[in-house]
Amino acid sequence: MRHFAIIGVLILILTPLVYLGVDAAHVMPIEASAQSLTVDWMWNMDVAVLSFLFAVVMVPLVYSLIVFRRRQGETGDGQPIEANTKLEVTWTVIPLLLVMVFAYLGAYTLGQTRIADPNALEINVTAHQWDWSFDYPQGFTSNELHLPINRQVVLKMQSLDVIHSFWVAEFRIKQDIVPGRVTDYRITPILIGQYTVRCAELCGSRHAYMERPVIVSSQADYDAWVTQQAAAAAALVARGGPDAGKVMAAQNGCGACHSLDGTKLTGPTWRGLPGSQVQLSDGTTVAADEAYLTQSIVDPNAKVVLGFPSGIMPKFNLTDAQVKAIVAYIETLK
Amino acid sequence: MRKLFASALARGVLWQLAGWLTGALVITGIRMVMGLKPLDTFFFTEPAWVFGAFIGVLSFIAGSGIVGDWFKWAKGQQTPEHREDPDGWEKYVGISLDHKVIGIQYAVTSLVLLVVGGSFALIFRTELAQPGLQFLTLQWYNTLMSLHGIVMIIGILVGVAGVMNYLVPLLIGAQDMAFPRLNAFSFWIVVPAVILLLSSLALGGFDTGWTGYPPLSARAPVGMQMFFLGVFTAGWSSILGGLNLIATTLRMRAKGMTAFRMPILVWGAMATSLITLTATQLIGLAFQLVMFQRLLGMGFFDPAKGGNPILFQHLFWFYSHPAVYVFVLPGLGVISELLPVFVRKPLYGYRWIAMSSLGIALVGFLVWAHHMFASGMNQYLQVPFMYSTLLVAVPTGVKFFSWLATIWKGKIDFPTPMLFVLGGIVVFLIGGLSGPPNATVATDLHLTDTYFIVGHFHDTIFGGYVFPFFAAIYFWFPKATGRRMNERLGKLHFWIMTPAFLTLTLLMMRIGMLGMRRRIADYDPALGFEGYHIVMTIAGCLIAFSVLIFLVNLVRSVRHGEKAEGNVWNSRSPEWQVPSPLPSHNYENPIEVIGEPYDYGVAGSQYIKFSKGH
Amino acid sequence: MEHTDKTGILRQGVVVFVFLAVLTGLEFLIAVAIGAVGLLVVVAIIKVGLVMYYYMHIYRLNRDSGDDQHSPEYRTATNRLGLWLFLLSDSFVFGALAVSRFNLLGLTRPALNQYLGLTVTSVLLLSSFFMNRAEASMEHGDRRGFIVGMAITLLLGLCFVGGVLGVEWPTAIADGVTPSASAAGAIFFMMTGMHALHVVTGLILLGIVLRNGSRGLYSADKHWGVEAAAVYWHFVDVVWIFFYPALYLIGKLS
Repeated sequence: MRHFAIIGVLILILTPLVYLGVDAAHVMPIEASAQSLTVDWMWNMDVAVLSFLFAVVMVPLVYSLIVFRRRQGETGDGQPIEANTKLEVTWTVIPLLLVMVFAYLGAYTLGQTRIADPNALEINVTAHQWDWSFDYPQGFTSNELHLPINRQVVLKMQSLDVIHSFWVAEFRIKQDIVPGRVTDYRITPILIGQYTVRCAELCGSRHAYMERPVIVSSQADYDAWVTQQAAAAAALVARGGPDAGKVMAAQNGCGACHSLDGTKLTGPTWRGLPGSQVQLSDGTTVAADEAYLTQSIVDPNAKVVLGFPSGIMPKFNLTDAQVKAIVAYIETLK
Repeated sequence: MRKLFASALARGVLWQLAGWLTGALVITGIRMVMGLKPLDTFFFTEPAWVFGAFIGVLSFIAGSGIVGDWFKWAKGQQTPEHREDPDGWEKYVGISLDHKVIGIQYAVTSLVLLVVGGSFALIFRTELAQPGLQFLTLQWYNTLMSLHGIVMIIGILVGVAGVMNYLVPLLIGAQDMAFPRLNAFSFWIVVPAVILLLSSLALGGFDTGWTGYPPLSARAPVGMQMFFLGVFTAGWSSILGGLNLIATTLRMRAKGMTAFRMPILVWGAMATSLITLTATQLIGLAFQLVMFQRLLGMGFFDPAKGGNPILFQHLFWFYSHPAVYVFVLPGLGVISELLPVFVRKPLYGYRWIAMSSLGIALVGFLVWAHHMFASGMNQYLQVPFMYSTLLVAVPTGVKFFSWLATIWKGKIDFPTPMLFVLGGIVVFLIGGLSGPPNATVATDLHLTDTYFIVGHFHDTIFGGYVFPFFAAIYFWFPKATGRRMNERLGKLHFWIMTPAFLTLTLLMMRIGMLGMRRRIADYDPALGFEGYHIVMTIAGCLIAFSVLIFLVNLVRSVRHGEKAEGNVWNSRSPEWQVPSPLPSHNYENPIEVIGEPYDYGVAGSQYIKFSKGH
Repeated sequence: MEHTDKTGILRQGVVVFVFLAVLTGLEFLIAVAIGAVGLLVVVAIIKVGLVMYYYMHIYRLNRDSGDDQHSPEYRTATNRLGLWLFLLSDSFVFGALAVSRFNLLGLTRPALNQYLGLTVTSVLLLSSFFMNRAEASMEHGDRRGFIVGMAITLLLGLCFVGGVLGVEWPTAIADGVTPSASAAGAIFFMMTGMHALHVVTGLILLGIVLRNGSRGLYSADKHWGVEAAAVYWHFVDVVWIFFYPALYLIGKLS
């Protein structure tokens, strides 16, 4: 009986120690979304029960190893103990009940993170190898995701090529983006600050670098930013020409695959491209004139450059004016 | 040396390479005749490489001569039931039908693969010590990381097969496996599979991880196809090995060995084999479908053609989740098998432990989609899969509690195998306890695809497989060789590996939660993970160093270990009641079970007796 | 139940075949007339049950083979278990293919030639019938009956492969169902291709058994090779019993 009493006391001591230890280590990043509060609540419940289970196994284990170790000069076997069915049933049924409770909590918290606000702000997200771009309803595209605080946002996410995954650690939630369908990502930012979205699903060689800033600001700051971006975008389209094209190319992440310094990335470099003779994979040669460049943006697999596989470059959502500006920009890169 | 070159191994490999080249040339020739482009980035075109590789595997089978007896049977000829092996090491590079030889062939192959896969990890672990790229390119990083995953997995599958092959017939008192030729075939097919896998290094590698999700895997270099074909080929080893083991256990048991009098490891092996027999087919199919998508443009997973990328994930995880139970169930069986020996007490709750193995295997078939909580699969599937996943905790808990009750009031000894058993229990506990946060969906949405997962599964696999595997080697080494491994080196191995490993995985979990994603070649210095990565790299090197100690100990002990031909561990198990090493066909006098297997400390109890002669 | 006299077995084979043929016709009519998916599945399961019991003799797994592990009966029973385990494993491939088909296409189906489908299905069913006769003949030491039965089975099997690969595939391609056009075409070619691969393997086994049988290597007591080839051949039929409605009958035309 003495053994059980000691073990009981030790378990009661170790359980809170483990729980508080994990808590004190600040294992989670800061909480920047309403959903993160739910996730962290669930995490704490997990840790509480797991601390107890850890103690329940470790205390008797270590205690036995010390107390029941074979002493110097001791011989013979241990006392055979008959298995006790009641005990076995107990340690099957209690975990079973615990599982039921946890599954309920899991379902409940999942529901909490999914509560949809009909007035949520909608932003379209496009992921492709290896960049993000964000299309705002006001008709401009940005490489930074700006969000107003305390308003639910739903990201309508699309992938142009392979599977990516949208993850901001401070928001907790993670959602894969599967080509051929639109997936939703719903969060409510609650803390002003700058975070980073990082692709969490291996998406090819430069996966590690598929990151973009996410900025949560006050409604006023957000509105100001939107107005300014929308005006700049309108001005850009109106202006057209190579300078506008350069900005548009950056916004759409062209540089992720097409270098400006002659390096061979996933796609051919743009340096020295205009006016050159391009060898295609079907054996023919074509002059890199305006028509060719335009076609290569609008229908990327029509003419594929020798040494590069086809089916890699996606079709981007670009207006004719934008394509024209980008082509004009490329033509300056002689 | 000449004997080595004349061996089945060397013949098979040479034939494979020749067949590969021939197949590739045939396709290239056909392409030239048809006016298609004959050569590509990696010299041959993709269809040529794939067809050649396929012919290469068939050539290996033909060249090594493993199917010779079956051909004779098809022609209506008789072959002798048993075959005598040559003495000495040659039998290990030749075709043997003795399950003990095959078991050792498996185990050695497994060790080789674990060393290769571990070296890959060491390379990219060092690369990660600092942010930025130091000595690897992105493609090399991704390839090594992907190959580390699959080489380790195949290595573990092979190791599991080794443990089961060597032990199960001995434990149930059989002369051999039910189908000895199939058994040899199952082993030998691994060799061409491994060659295919490693050849991907030379063919552009693949940057998809071992999961090979399309559409990414539909765009990777030709190395991707070698990976698919290699896994597909190795899968046959698993399937046929599982089939053989089930048939052996059901049909070849000694007299009196009823289901609940079998050594407990056999239950673990049965549960594992049920999974390998059935579920392996699905990963094979999933990989085939991507291969055909690449070769023939069949749009199974291409959304532009009405395909569904998520379907691949379902097919893939239907095998790949149960696969982790394939890794751990025999390991947990080893723990249950060895604990009673070293605490000198009966195994507590034998029937419950036996049933929990089956329970884990069966529930394991129903949990696969918990790998896909963030994948965009149908949302109504999330909650049922959370339930089934958490349910795994119940039979696993039964095992832990039964082990505790087994240890309770024992007389505990601590030789090296026992240390690894206890280390396995602790590490598996941590792996197990880090599981539920991944099951409760909301927390998983944060944790999935981060280093938390990496730490979690390394804990489960080390606790459930690697520690018990080492325990099994230290424990049964005297049975196989008649010599003991050095205790002092064994303990050194344990005391270096365990703390280093725990440091490594706990830090993985920590930085994972803070924002370290899985499978990245480089990380943002702004995250402040540098210090952690340096410590983790040192820990990784220490693990490698401890394994080196183990390998030195292993190789040295084969010839110079202390002689140990008797019942070294004072075990009740049948294989220890006869002198080591065992002759082929095992027991000269058939055994008969007359008592309970684990009645340590019960006066006058006996597990088996030997009946006289055949 | 298991008949022991030869005429009884042969008569039973005929009765089972008639049932299967009627059910297949019924399937076709259900699909054409009302398209009830549930009913089609039930009919397929009944057909498979009949084949597994009367043609594949699944109950033999339960047969007592004594205690002597070295006796030929014991050995044969172990082999039988091994074969069935293999079929269990194999059925996971086909099951996964069927699941993939429904995942990708849902309740639509590719535009295939219905009469061709029904014809090849009938041919395969008929081959199963003759396979059963051949095996029954061997069980009673009737080598002539065995050879005739096997030869017809082999011929019908060749017709099936020829029908699927030589007629059905080109027809489908001509109708626009090609491997690379759409996921529907892809899964059709994958399912029929995987099945055809198994049929060809079965034909090789049948060829070996026919050759060895005609050389007198089997007897009424000892003919495991014949039984194995037969069970495998019927398994190929079982797969097709599911694949035929999955590809031709279930769902609306896409």
